[in-house]
Amino acid sequence: MSEKIVKMPVDPGDIVGEEHWAKKGNVELFLWRRYSPRARAASPDKGVLFLVHGSSFSARTAYDLDVPGHGDYSLMKTFAGLGFDVWTMDHEGYGKSSRTDGFSYIEDGVEDLKAAAPVVEEVTGQKSFAFFGSSSGALRAGAFANACPERVSRLAMAALVWTGKGSPTLRKRAEKIAEWQSSNRRVADEASYQAIFTRDVVGLTIPELPAAAAAAEMANGGGSVPNGTYIDMCINLPVVDPTKIQCPAMIYRGDHDGIATDEDLMGFFTALPNKDKQLVMMSGQAHNTTIGINRQRFWHVLNGFLTMPPRIDGTDL
Amino acid sequence: MTEMWSQEYWAHKGDVKLYMFRKRLGAPKPGEAPKPVFFLVHGSSFSGPTGFDLHVPGKPDYSFMEKFAEYGYDVWTLDHEGYGRSDSTDGNSPVAEGVKDLKAGMEIVARETGQNRIAVYGSSSGALRAALFAEAHPGHVERLILDAFVYTGEGSPTLRERAKKMDIWTAGNMRAVDRPFFLSIFTRDRPGTCEPGVGEALADLELSICNRVPTGTYVDMCSKLPVNDPTKVKCPVLIVRGEHDGIATEEDLLDYFTKLPTRDKQFIIIPGMAHVSHLGVNRARFWHVLKNFLEMPPRVDDIKD
Repeated sequence: MSEKIVKMPVDPGDIVGEEHWAKKGNVELFLWRRYSPRARAASPDKGVLFLVHGSSFSARTAYDLDVPGHGDYSLMKTFAGLGFDVWTMDHEGYGKSSRTDGFSYIEDGVEDLKAAAPVVEEVTGQKSFAFFGSSSGALRAGAFANACPERVSRLAMAALVWTGKGSPTLRKRAEKIAEWQSSNRRVADEASYQAIFTRDVVGLTIPELPAAAAAAEMANGGGSVPNGTYIDMCINLPVVDPTKIQCPAMIYRGDHDGIATDEDLMGFFTALPNKDKQLVMMSGQAHNTTIGINRQRFWHVLNGFLTMPPRIDGTDL
Repeated sequence: MTEMWSQEYWAHKGDVKLYMFRKRLGAPKPGEAPKPVFFLVHGSSFSGPTGFDLHVPGKPDYSFMEKFAEYGYDVWTLDHEGYGRSDSTDGNSPVAEGVKDLKAGMEIVARETGQNRIAVYGSSSGALRAALFAEAHPGHVERLILDAFVYTGEGSPTLRERAKKMDIWTAGNMRAVDRPFFLSIFTRDRPGTCEPGVGEALADLELSICNRVPTGTYVDMCSKLPVNDPTKVKCPVLIVRGEHDGIATEEDLLDYFTKLPTRDKQFIIIPGMAHVSHLGVNRARFWHVLKNFLEMPPRVDDIKD
């Protein structure tokens, strides 16, 4: 396989990273921010973009990954370069956030986001943010938009599943439901990442990615992750109500993603009440769109959604 | 700053002469890198340059052609048989005839630009023409944008009203158009989605060229839908829909979308927009969506779908 190196569209050369912390009761939650002072100054209208991770990686593995010699992988740096104030967090039990006896279900993730929002507001002065979530991160982000619509200005969801009906991945995953329920955590290592990256199709991630992801996850305090979102996705769907999502929304689906069927996502899209909505289906993409070989196509679509010019008419139309 | 450049051409469909219009930044120069061609296909009631190159007194940014020329495209349009400056015949210029027009137009585009595979946009029955052209000539269509589209027509408020006048549409090959008719296009779905003065400017321009248009696409849309087969469209497709557009229901469009075999497809609804998207108050959002679709980075994997 010939690898074509993908570079971020704009590198202002001054992207910084900042560590912040939120508290959910006794649970310490790690927040990570990236932005470019130069790009922010050039695009002051671009606000906060909050990235919500999924079941198997902590935040920086999913969204701020370095794979030296293989181009740009960090979604955070990419969108910081484009002028956004990019934030993410490790959910309870992930990465640097507190490990507890809990399972870190989707509803716990919503509580995590509720705890993070005031921190982001205090630092940035913004009260509502654009959210992006992938896989169970899309479920967390969608459920947060249900619970706190005033905090979500735009919502982009990739690798989403709604009811789970007909999902090949979830059918397979449900075969191990007893295992997921028997413990609050499971091992996350190179072998498990290899399985995630190749379960849909081989050839849409580079062979070096599982090792890079595993190394990043270990460096971020990982090695194991909570089981709650796996359990939710196997037996508790739907956990997001599309009829209660009030903001503009985009659903992004990779053509090889086995987490949901087209029909399931079309049903979700149709039920969204806000007519500012987009359904984007993309070839050359599997479940992990953000760190796939064709991630630059995902960046393009997400940036397009986030930079939609404002309406110049009244909302009474 | 490079000047806007335009040129007229004539395509020939047998004995029928078809008017073509082209805009881009700067005249073509030998040896220069080609600009990507973007071809705009008009609908049932006004000709190509009238709709796509409209200038509204005192109001900037209404020319679709100039906007995409500024973005770097080589923008073309064509008056279909019986419209604008093109020849009128005894025919009523139905959707299928529009495909022949586009084939003739494509020969001129290829001759002038050297490009044989282009991006095509159609609005309303222009979207039906464009989609049918993509079905018939998949080798010519790189990317396809369908705006104000309708598939089966089931549940369409606009077509229900239009069908009440089927006796008029079938009585002759042409129908009269006048100022009140043009103004009604901009208000029938939702007043306020277009600025005052736009319908008037369009009426002024079109009525200076002609006061009749063919009936074929109206007959097709009222009595012959579906005229398109989504399973035959091979290229990436964007379906863009104005929230208030009465020409089709969302269900109808999602049915078409679902049947498209390509896995590169987008369905985008824009609020505050009605049937004539490119002349609405929110046209900047419409352009944004189109530009993003046209500028999608290429795949870099080796998988053959």
